[in-house]
Amino acid sequence: MTLRLPGALLSIAYKEFIHIIRDWRILLLLFTLPPAFTLIMGHAFEHGDLSDVPTILRNEDDSAESRQFVDFLKTNKAFAWKEETGKGPIPDLLHAGVQGVVVIPSGWGKGLNSGEPIPIQAVLDGTDTTTSAEVEGVLDQALGAFQIKLRDEMVDNMPDEMIELGKKIPEDFRNKIVSTMAQWTVKTEIVYNPKQKFIDFVTPGIVGLMLQLLTVPLMAVTITRERENGTLSQLLLTSLRHWEIVVGKVLPYLGLSAIVIAVVMGLTHWHFEVNFPRPWPLVLLCFLFLLCSLGLGLLISAFCDTQAQAVQITVFFLLPIIPLCGAFAPLDQLPDAIRALAEVFPLTHFCRAFRLVNLANAEFRFLLGDIAYLSLGALATFTAAALLLRRTQS
Amino acid sequence: MIVLNHLSKIYDGMAVVDELCLSVEKGSIFGLLGPNGAGKTTTIRMLCGLTRPSSGHGTIGGMDIWKNRYKVRRHFGYMAQKFSLYPDLTVTENLRFFGGACGVERTQITSRVCQLLEQTDLTAKKDAMAGSLSGGMKQRLSLACALIHDPEVLFLDEPTSGLDPVHRQELWTLLYNLSHEGKTLLVTTHYMDEAERCTEVGFLHRGKLLAKDRPDLIKDHYRSKLLELQVEPQMPALLALNQTPGILGASLRSGWIRLYASHPEKFLQEWQRQWPFPALQWTGHRWATPDMEDVFRAYSQGFDGVLREEEVQP
Repeated sequence: MTLRLPGALLSIAYKEFIHIIRDWRILLLLFTLPPAFTLIMGHAFEHGDLSDVPTILRNEDDSAESRQFVDFLKTNKAFAWKEETGKGPIPDLLHAGVQGVVVIPSGWGKGLNSGEPIPIQAVLDGTDTTTSAEVEGVLDQALGAFQIKLRDEMVDNMPDEMIELGKKIPEDFRNKIVSTMAQWTVKTEIVYNPKQKFIDFVTPGIVGLMLQLLTVPLMAVTITRERENGTLSQLLLTSLRHWEIVVGKVLPYLGLSAIVIAVVMGLTHWHFEVNFPRPWPLVLLCFLFLLCSLGLGLLISAFCDTQAQAVQITVFFLLPIIPLCGAFAPLDQLPDAIRALAEVFPLTHFCRAFRLVNLANAEFRFLLGDIAYLSLGALATFTAAALLLRRTQS
Repeated sequence: MIVLNHLSKIYDGMAVVDELCLSVEKGSIFGLLGPNGAGKTTTIRMLCGLTRPSSGHGTIGGMDIWKNRYKVRRHFGYMAQKFSLYPDLTVTENLRFFGGACGVERTQITSRVCQLLEQTDLTAKKDAMAGSLSGGMKQRLSLACALIHDPEVLFLDEPTSGLDPVHRQELWTLLYNLSHEGKTLLVTTHYMDEAERCTEVGFLHRGKLLAKDRPDLIKDHYRSKLLELQVEPQMPALLALNQTPGILGASLRSGWIRLYASHPEKFLQEWQRQWPFPALQWTGHRWATPDMEDVFRAYSQGFDGVLREEEVQP
């Protein structure tokens, strides 16, 4: 009896494997989609520094200071400047073909010297919220740097009388003035992802999403296909137990998914220079997550009557995962109820644990919760699928 | 070999199989006849342990069909009504898969597959995809798959549906051979010529077993005489006779209209005095012997007046 089991189980695994290799469309999908998606998503989320944002720079002031500031701005690589002089209404961004307009108003240079500085005007394209905020930041930074530069020049050229005068100020008050004149800074040390590479943040998302997008729909049609074809009844009449059918069906997909993981992680490593310093915990995580995904597919499959239903349910299930799994955007800002929902998805736990291992080099106890969730998820979905298998069409 | 004792299946308060009692001897071919929806498939599914009986019980070789359903599986093969094999697997792969899944020893699978390929005349097609086979070959492959673990009992749910007469004949030859080998067969069918080939037939109607007998004896269940008429034009005649009070039904058989009535001789006398259908031309009459189809029609359409009154003994 015990000797028979592996044979029967292997025969169903082998049969399932033949189904996969006979369907060249699916096979093609399996081997081209993961690398293509990885490249596309990797580059989409690579997110380097802001550069060459088309912007109009209009100097209405034409003072020595404004020209100096214009020259200073032109050294900044974030912008591709279109210089303008003279006055006039601010042009529409879309018509001008730019993402921003920076206007140095007339009298700006004078204001700097008269003690009444006038603000520089900027009109930015808000359709892309990320870029507009970044452009604003870069502008602020540039202006700040320019101010410091002018201050340093002013200090260097300070007349001797002024210095003499300064010596008469009480020392502690004089120090205070010097202090407020200097730029106060924060010395930041970023840990876990010191280079702040966004690709390192999204890698688990790419790996996980890829696995889920491929395995859940593929798995979801395996049992429904048998149910539709009437082969499920035949299968249930063999000596195979329900758990053997479930495990046997999963085995070839487990193997294929392992290849998919290797391809995706290999690409992110060599192409995007993502490092995986602790591979073994990652292997464990991938394995558990994979079981969870395959289990979910099986569950959908055992639950549905037709392949069309299975595919539809899979799509509805996968859609909310993309924004809610924390793969591409942090979960902390989500409202509590939505966050609770996000915690239901295995991908959320996979992404968190993956980052803890790969970026934070966290100890095992930090991963325990996520690992437990993934293990329980796999167990629950497999058991439910095996139980639902008996629900054959009457 | 197979014993059913007051077996019932109730779906939504409706008895699909109603207190079915039946016993099938080893080595016999039992034909389960009945119109669509009579409960034949449900009976087979219960026998296979795929559907749980609502009440009653049944045994195959002494093992309970539900309580021992995993154990009893090794002793029967099942050929479903619809082609239920993997179309993207070859003939050999299908057989090998079911062999492995049914627990046939690894060392024996190859020889068993060869033997079955030969037996079902599929050796030439062994590397063809199952989906590409013709209807007759598909059925033979289904049969081979059902036999892979050499079961003592075989359940066949309308094995010849959709086959032409030549292929039906081929399949029945195979079934005969199996029966000669000592296997017990339970076959459901719509075809009366097939029913005649069974060692025993049972009529199932609305879940109830109405009659059970040897094919040659079951014809005696039709106790009335059968009158056949030649009337032109045929179709209006059929309609008119069908609506005549006292006539239970009429059917067309090789150009003759066959009448089902408890006392057809009375009608004949009356018509010979006066033919009531002036628009129809009556040209002749004769007496016929009831065959399986007449008995089937009488049972399934409830022509109680023409049937022998008796209780079915399980």
